[in-house]
Amino acid sequence: MHEAAISQSIVHTVLEEAEKQEAIKVESVEIEIGELTFLGIDQVEFWVKTNFEETIAQGATIHFKRVKAEIHCNACEFQGALAVKEDPGYHMNLPLFSCPKCESSDIEITQGKEALIRRIHILRQ
Amino acid sequence: MKTMHTEEGKVIEIKMETNLYGKNDDLAKKNIELLNEHGIHAIDILGSIGSGKTTIIQQLVTHLQGKYRTAAIAGDITTTIDADRIKEKGATVLQINTDGGCHLDANMVKNALSVIDLTNLDLIFVENVGNLICPGGWPVGTHQRMVVVSTTEGPYMIVKHPYIFQNASVLAINKIDMADAMEVDVDQLKRDAFKIKPDLKVVFTNGRTGEGIPDLIESLNLPDK
Repeated sequence: MHEAAISQSIVHTVLEEAEKQEAIKVESVEIEIGELTFLGIDQVEFWVKTNFEETIAQGATIHFKRVKAEIHCNACEFQGALAVKEDPGYHMNLPLFSCPKCESSDIEITQGKEALIRRIHILRQ
Repeated sequence: MKTMHTEEGKVIEIKMETNLYGKNDDLAKKNIELLNEHGIHAIDILGSIGSGKTTIIQQLVTHLQGKYRTAAIAGDITTTIDADRIKEKGATVLQINTDGGCHLDANMVKNALSVIDLTNLDLIFVENVGNLICPGGWPVGTHQRMVVVSTTEGPYMIVKHPYIFQNASVLAINKIDMADAMEVDVDQLKRDAFKIKPDLKVVFTNGRTGEGIPDLIESLNLPDK
């Protein structure tokens, strides 16, 4: 359900920017979503497209990029992908919040928590 | 800015780099600033539906009575049941109905803070909506987060929701009286939590009887009065 809130935010932000840019149409939107947001991209896409209907962004192409989670380990200075446990019983890949190299839990998440509108393409007369 | 001409007009690329959580994060910071100006400590309380969040808040309000002036902001999808239960125990309570929303956000809490008299308070408990996934990315503007899980939710609650514990400072493992009946090993739950966050403070509680509440208060490390 938090997909609905973020989708509304995407729609509002895109339309506001398009209006500011005197657009007559929004052609495309590029969105990046970190895997630690636990946002379902299919659901976000559905809500954004639905909310774009009857606006100048109706029919816009929406490109999604899923951003992998990365960590920095304060214990061994490892920088890289967060390890995940793949277990079909959990219906999702479970992130393991410890260093894949030295197993320390003293880590910082450096990537994967973001939800970002990277750029849009608009049509102006 | 790249431009391409078509029959209909010009297609223009607009770089936005807009962080969709940015506005919430900014409002959350402002909420903390406002609370700090009034010397109020706030705790965001998270947990599934039925984990015992409201009962734990009732117990905290009762145990802290006379020492701290408390208020609660009770987030719920609908109804005022939780707010009414906390009010019974003598705290100022403000209800937020999210109308279907699965988490509180900083703007909702900002609105709640604007109608509470902040001049006579020391502590605010923010009871988030019963959910362990959605509130994760939405800080509401509190000084710390406490998670409540109960033994009746089974043995996998913690391993299944690691992210929510990563951002918490205190975990109450509630309904410990039900652990045997549920065949849940509470020490395993504790180990699961430490694996995610070794410095998490973990307390066993029974919200109905008040068992473990003094330990929980100690682990919250509330500002001196």
